[in-house]
Amino acid sequence: MFAKALKVAVLTLLAYLLQATAVEYLSIADVAPNLALVIIAIATVALGRKYTFVMALTVGYLIEIMTPMLDYISLILYPVAAMLSALVFSDKSERKLEEERTLGRRTGQWNPHLRTPLCAALSVAVFEAVHLLYTYLSGVSLDAGHWQRALTDVLYSMVLAGVLQFPVRWWLGVYKLKKAR
Amino acid sequence: MKLRVPKKERRKSGDSRGKHILRNVLIVLSVLIVMALAGTHLLKLITGNEMLAIPENGVAAVVTPLQSGFASVVNWISDYFYTLKLRSRLELEYNNLRQENEQLTYQAMLAGELQHKLSVYENLFDEVSDNEQLNPLVATVIGRESGNYFSVFTINKGTRDGIKDYMAVTMSGALVGYTYNTKTTSASVRTIIDSEASIAGLISTSRDQGTVRGTLGIDGQPMCRMYYLPEENLPRPGDQVVTSGVGMSFPKGIPIGTVRESTRGMESNKQYIVVEPSADFQHIEYVIVLRYQPEAEAVEDRSSSSDSLTLVPLESIQPVPTVLIGSDTYQLAPTPTPSPEPTLAPDETPAPTGAATPRPTSGSGSYEYQVPSSLQNGATNNSYGFTLAPTATPTPTAPPLDLSVEED
Repeated sequence: MFAKALKVAVLTLLAYLLQATAVEYLSIADVAPNLALVIIAIATVALGRKYTFVMALTVGYLIEIMTPMLDYISLILYPVAAMLSALVFSDKSERKLEEERTLGRRTGQWNPHLRTPLCAALSVAVFEAVHLLYTYLSGVSLDAGHWQRALTDVLYSMVLAGVLQFPVRWWLGVYKLKKAR
Repeated sequence: MKLRVPKKERRKSGDSRGKHILRNVLIVLSVLIVMALAGTHLLKLITGNEMLAIPENGVAAVVTPLQSGFASVVNWISDYFYTLKLRSRLELEYNNLRQENEQLTYQAMLAGELQHKLSVYENLFDEVSDNEQLNPLVATVIGRESGNYFSVFTINKGTRDGIKDYMAVTMSGALVGYTYNTKTTSASVRTIIDSEASIAGLISTSRDQGTVRGTLGIDGQPMCRMYYLPEENLPRPGDQVVTSGVGMSFPKGIPIGTVRESTRGMESNKQYIVVEPSADFQHIEYVIVLRYQPEAEAVEDRSSSSDSLTLVPLESIQPVPTVLIGSDTYQLAPTPTPSPEPTLAPDETPAPTGAATPRPTSGSGSYEYQVPSSLQNGATNNSYGFTLAPTATPTPTAPPLDLSVEED
């Protein structure tokens, strides 16, 4: 249990550090991915919503106090974006599954390897949408370049999530758990 | 019926439930701490109270060294990849430059080769244009047989091109040899260093005539020896040896070589001097064949009139001795009368005159070889044998005998 908590703490710190230091080296066509949201999305599918909220809030807080861009934005936006995508793509609870079975709905879940990039894409899409809205409300007229950059960020983050989920899930012990079952 | 669970299982189930509770407590605590921190931050932003920045500063104090270390690691990795990228780019650039260098080297070699060919062609053109009256023909060397005793090569021109045996072959303003074994489309050339070659030559300064022969078969040296020179004169080193135009159908004045040693060697009772050939026999690619033929009329006159030849004795002041052999009467050449006056001083050498050596003239169909101006240097800057200034010989020489027959 403590090992898992320690891993989550390390993963949270790693998400923040990568977002704060390494993102600029990974930019393609001057568009940098959101590594913090990518790692949070991986944790969302692998660990669940509670860990997602803790990670997103911690990362948002650290970014807010260490590299402040706009007041409140990171602190609020990271948990909100992560939790919104977690509502859609995280594992459903046993109670929810039972409820769906009772109502005669289809209870199957998508493959987690597919849900992870989609979760990351949704998180980054919310993040980018809020930023575009803020830009628009600041008086800047949005053009194709803005949309292109936002779309590139979403797609790039999605691809990164698809690649990084394997080592992260392995490190979190998800594959070991599956094998034991 | 009440289901009884074993004590061990109950204990395990209790442990699991405890862990679950503890985990939830931890999560709730974490969330509370983080939310407290976030709330403090929000309050600080709203109220602007600096006291509320204390927890924030504490977190930053913990995170900053970690972030610094992580940033340096990331920078190191980035630099490493940048170095790799730079190195691969440098390697690529190096390979490109190397390839370019090879191409340039090849082009330079090609340019050098073309320049050499151009120079050769220019020399050939000069030589041909300067000796048009000698009917020159440029030929390419297509075969070479250069052993220890013989030095011959084959050219790609033959009788179809007007080449006959014993025509002079030159290169770069120097005599190379003469043609022989002429075929329809090819001919062999025997070089002057071949010991089988024998060419009439003369020392351009003293006008002494002799026979030039190759030494390749004698001592293996690519040199020539000049035999049958008058014993009175000793040529100086550097004196030019040219063809005398006697024998074969050689034009007069083709440079053969230069006198190398002033001492005379001895070979089977024959004295000789060593002549270093002017031609470079190691690099013969193109040669010029001088299709020079003596004027046919003169030859025909001599041959056609041989049948009805009547010797008419010239009237002479002095009695001319005659010899009767059988029914034929032969007249001997006049003996020079000793002059009562003293001859020239021993240290003086009379200037060679045109009368000393018969000079073929264009009117009689004979031409003299002209060394191209581009190939002239030093002592060979004029036509050979006539316009060079006379040089004093180291040994006293007798005045030349005047053998010309006076016309009455």
